[in-house]
Amino acid sequence: MGGISAVLTKIGRSVGGVVGTLYQAGRDTVDTVIRNVIPFMAFISFIIGLILTTGIGDWIATGIKGSASSLPGLLLISLVCALPVLSPLLGPGAVIAQIVGTLLGVEIGKGNIPAQYALPALFAINPQVGCDFIPVGLALGEAEPETVEVGVPAVLFSRLVTGPLSVVIAYFASFGLYSSSN
Amino acid sequence: MNLLSVGYRLAEVTVDKPTGILGALATAAEDFIKVFNKGGEVLLSLMGGILPTLVVLLTAVNALVRIIGPEKIENLGKAAARPGIQWYPVRYIVLPFVAVFVLTNPMAYTMGRFLPERYKPAFYDSAVSFVHPILGIFPHANPGELFVYVGIATGITQLGLGLGDLAVRYLLVGLVVIFIRGIVTEWITARMMAKKEA
Repeated sequence: MGGISAVLTKIGRSVGGVVGTLYQAGRDTVDTVIRNVIPFMAFISFIIGLILTTGIGDWIATGIKGSASSLPGLLLISLVCALPVLSPLLGPGAVIAQIVGTLLGVEIGKGNIPAQYALPALFAINPQVGCDFIPVGLALGEAEPETVEVGVPAVLFSRLVTGPLSVVIAYFASFGLYSSSN
Repeated sequence: MNLLSVGYRLAEVTVDKPTGILGALATAAEDFIKVFNKGGEVLLSLMGGILPTLVVLLTAVNALVRIIGPEKIENLGKAAARPGIQWYPVRYIVLPFVAVFVLTNPMAYTMGRFLPERYKPAFYDSAVSFVHPILGIFPHANPGELFVYVGIATGITQLGLGLGDLAVRYLLVGLVVIFIRGIVTEWITARMMAKKEA
């Protein structure tokens, strides 16, 4: 009897553990979705509504169209975002990248920007990723203060090169992407 | 909002469109509410479209990560710390990918603690640059910043095109970019450290 109940206890425990893990995963998920995802969806929906119903969209379209649908234009966007003075300001929460991404998405949906530019555009709007977070990110990696002192400018300067470079790579990688739509 | 629009429709049926100041006000009110009606439509399509999939996917991956245990990837961090050219891809492709996938943003950067000081800025640069390219396929890694990808992807969906191709290419180009970024930043860090000591 002792053997059987030991087995039963073991099974019960491991099943309980798995169910508990799944349940906790679900709880974490709903928490993230309610705290981080849905608020941003609400905010983005408002912006899209504003763009689609007012004249702002056409105004932005004429401004963006020239720069976002050519390689030099995208390079210019990435270069501006990668400037060591600007990049830490543009970084926080990736809010700027998300708004600009949404604006470009609307213009792609309307056909003002060719679909294959989606890939290089994803990199052009984002060379500043994490530039606001370098000291914290390095601290999470238990870096010494001396490393942080060198690391912050090192990453910022690196972006000036790798930001535009990523756009070029993405541009060549976008050959054949949605090409049938033209 | 619905009541308001029903009211307008009734007004249109029974009487002529109002003119003058009141007419202008009515038009302004309609235009005003139109912005939010459209926004509501967009919100509903987002909530009905990507949100259910996202919730299920997040739950599955969160459970998987909990079952595997984040401490399992520590050995990878130790391997990535080794010098030598053959460990560059481990340090700036494999480790950032695994760290961002398993630990997600921002805990992924804690993997830097296994690396020597001279590699830490480059690893951070590499890992942080991957928190968006991964979103097309594994949105659990950074759900709070989903719209960097989804914003542009929505436009592609509106054109009636599939997203698979874009998501895969975004991920692959992302891997190439973080590798280059790691190498470049490591080089700049080494130069700056040497200059500081001199």
